[in-house]
Amino acid sequence: MKTGDVFSYSFSAIKLRKLRAGLTTLGVVIGIAAIVALLSITQGLQDTISAQLQKGFATDTLIVSTGRGFGIGAMGGVGGINSGFKLFVNDTQTINKIDNVTMSTAIIERFGSIKLGETVWNTTIMGVDFAKYASIYSSTFVAESGVIPQSPDNETIVIGKRVSDPWKNNTLLFNISDTVEIIWLNATARPQKNENYTGHIEGVLKEIGGFGIVGPSDFYIYIPISQAQKFFGTDECDMIIVKLNSDNKAVINSVSKAIKEAFSNQASVTSATAVLDILSSVISTVQLFLAGIAAISLLVAGIGIMNIMIVSLIERTREIGILKALGMKSRTVLLIFLSEAAIIGLLGAAIGIGSGWVLANMVAILFSGRGAFTQLQGDQAAAAGGMTITPVLTPTVLLGALVFGIGVSIIFALYPAWRASKLKPVDALRYE
Amino acid sequence: MAAIVEAVNLKKTYLLGKVPVEALRGVNLKVEHGDFLAILGPSGSGKSTLLNLIGALDKPTEGKMLIENVDISTLNDNQLADLRRRIGFVFQFFNLIPRFTARENVELSMSIADMSKAERKKHAEDLLETVGLKERMNHKPTELSGGEQQRVAIARALANNPRFLLMDEPTGNIDSKTANEIIGLIKRLNEEKGVTIIMVTHDQHLATQAKRTVQMFDGIITGEIVN
Repeated sequence: MKTGDVFSYSFSAIKLRKLRAGLTTLGVVIGIAAIVALLSITQGLQDTISAQLQKGFATDTLIVSTGRGFGIGAMGGVGGINSGFKLFVNDTQTINKIDNVTMSTAIIERFGSIKLGETVWNTTIMGVDFAKYASIYSSTFVAESGVIPQSPDNETIVIGKRVSDPWKNNTLLFNISDTVEIIWLNATARPQKNENYTGHIEGVLKEIGGFGIVGPSDFYIYIPISQAQKFFGTDECDMIIVKLNSDNKAVINSVSKAIKEAFSNQASVTSATAVLDILSSVISTVQLFLAGIAAISLLVAGIGIMNIMIVSLIERTREIGILKALGMKSRTVLLIFLSEAAIIGLLGAAIGIGSGWVLANMVAILFSGRGAFTQLQGDQAAAAGGMTITPVLTPTVLLGALVFGIGVSIIFALYPAWRASKLKPVDALRYE
Repeated sequence: MAAIVEAVNLKKTYLLGKVPVEALRGVNLKVEHGDFLAILGPSGSGKSTLLNLIGALDKPTEGKMLIENVDISTLNDNQLADLRRRIGFVFQFFNLIPRFTARENVELSMSIADMSKAERKKHAEDLLETVGLKERMNHKPTELSGGEQQRVAIARALANNPRFLLMDEPTGNIDSKTANEIIGLIKRLNEEKGVTIIMVTHDQHLATQAKRTVQMFDGIITGEIVN
C-alpha cells in the first residue's frame, strides 16, 4: 500500500469516531500547550532578565566589592564575608596596575533622600567619578537634559530619570537647575543625625530601563566621589568598577584572579558574564523542571492514546481480518495504526503549540502587560513591576514540541499497532 | 492443464480448549483453470477449514496445500499476503468496510496491491458496471441491499485480476430471488470471462449450479458429481 493511501485510510478511521478522536487529541493538546506556554514564558523571562542586566552591566567590566551587604558580590564572587575587609577609594591605584585593566573607579553608595521645598524623595545616593563612570557606562550614563560635567564642583548632582519623573507622566519632581537638599541619616554618629548639604541638579539621565543592579539606574542620584567622601565622612568605598581592555573570558578570569590576589583573596570580584551565566543556569533549571511537569501531562495523553487504540483494535478486529484477506501485509496494518496515532499527535501538537502560545501571551499580559498581541494596561504595570516579559517561542521549542507530541503518540501506539499487525487473518475474520 | 489449486492429503487439527478437533482428515482436491467447483457439506464437515486453507488464511497441520504449485506451508507472512492478493474472496456476510462507498470498497483491494489512484478509479467503475452496480457505486454498504452488497464484494474480489474466486456461502445471507441473480452473475463470470471459481456451500440447489460438486463429510471428501 502506498504511503498516501495508508494515511488516507487512517484518516477515514479517525473521522469515523470524531468525538473519541477529538478527546484523545485534546489530551495531546493540553500536554503540548502546557509545555509550549511554560517554555516560552520562561524563555521570555530569561531574555528579559539578560537584556535588563546587560543594560546596567557592561560585559567588559568587573565589580570589586567587599562581599558584604551587596547582592551581586555574594552571588558572583567569593569574598571575605564578615572578615572586616575594607575597600578604599584609593585602592583603584592598586587595581590600575594590573595588566589588561584600562581604568577603575570607586563608588560610595548610601540610602538617603533628595528634598525640594516640601517634596522629599527617598533614593540611593551614589558617589562616583563622573568622568570615569561616564566613560565606562558610555551608553547609559548619559544626560537627557543638562550635562554630566567632566570636572564637577562639589555641589553638582545628576539624577536618574525616574527620580525626576517618577510616574512617567511628566510630573517633574526634580529638574535641572533646581537647588535641592541632599539628606543622609548618619547612623554611626552618636546620637544619630541627619547630615545634609545643598546642591544643584546639573543633569537628568536619559531613561535606562532595566534593574540597574550595578550600572547606572533610573532610580538613583549621583554626586561627585570627592563630595561623597566628605559628606559621608569616609574613604571606604562600596565597590570599584574595573574596566578591561577586552570582554574575553580568559582576560576576565586572569584579571579577577589578579585582583583577588592583590587584596589577599578577601575582595569579591564579580563579572557581568558570571552573573548572567548563573542566572541563565538557574532559569534553565527552572525551565527544565516546569517542562518536566508539563511532560507528565503529555504522558497521560499518551496513555489515553494507547487505551483508545486498544479499544479501536478490538472493535476493528474483523476489519483487520478483511484487510489481511485482501492481501494487506502485517507491516501495513502496523503502519495504519501508527499513522492514526501520528495524525492525532500532529493535530494535537499543532493545536497545542497554537494554544500554548496564546496562553503564554495571556499570562504575559496579565503579569506584565506586554504580550505579543497588545499592550493593555501596559506601562503602569510595567513601571510597577519594573520588568516586562514577552514570551519567546524558539524554533527549537516549536520543533521539539511537534516532534515530542507526535513521538509520544506513536510510542504509545506501538503496542496496540503491533497487536493489530499480529492478528491471524482466520481468527480476525471469525471475530464477532 | 496444471492445477491452480491442489490439496494433497490435507489435514488440519484445531485445539478446542484442550481437546484436539480434526477438522480435515486427509483431503485430496484439484482445481484447474476455468473450473467452477462447489464444495458441498453440512456444517462441521470441514468445508470452511478447507476454504481457509485454499485462501491461504491458515496453514495445514499436515499434507500440502499447493496454490499454483507453491506449498503455502513454506511461505512466510509477507509471501502469504502477496499470495492472497491473487485470490478473490467473497464472504457470506459480505465483509465490506462500512465507512467506505461501494467504489471505495472495490478500490481498497487495489490500493492494497499498490495500484495508482487514477487507475483504481477507472478499474473500480468498470468492475461495478460488470456486476450491475454502476448507478449505486457511491452508496455505502448500509444503503445497499444484501444482494447489492454481495455484488460489491464480488467486484472487490475481482479487483486484482485474481487466479480464482473463493466464495463462502455467497448466497447464504440473501433472499432467494436475489440469490438467483447472484448465481447468474457468478456463472456468467465463469462462462464468459473464464474466471475460476471455488464455492463453499451447504445449499444443494446452489451446488448444482457449479460445473462439478465435491461432497464433504466429517473432514473428508466423500464423493464428486459432475453436473
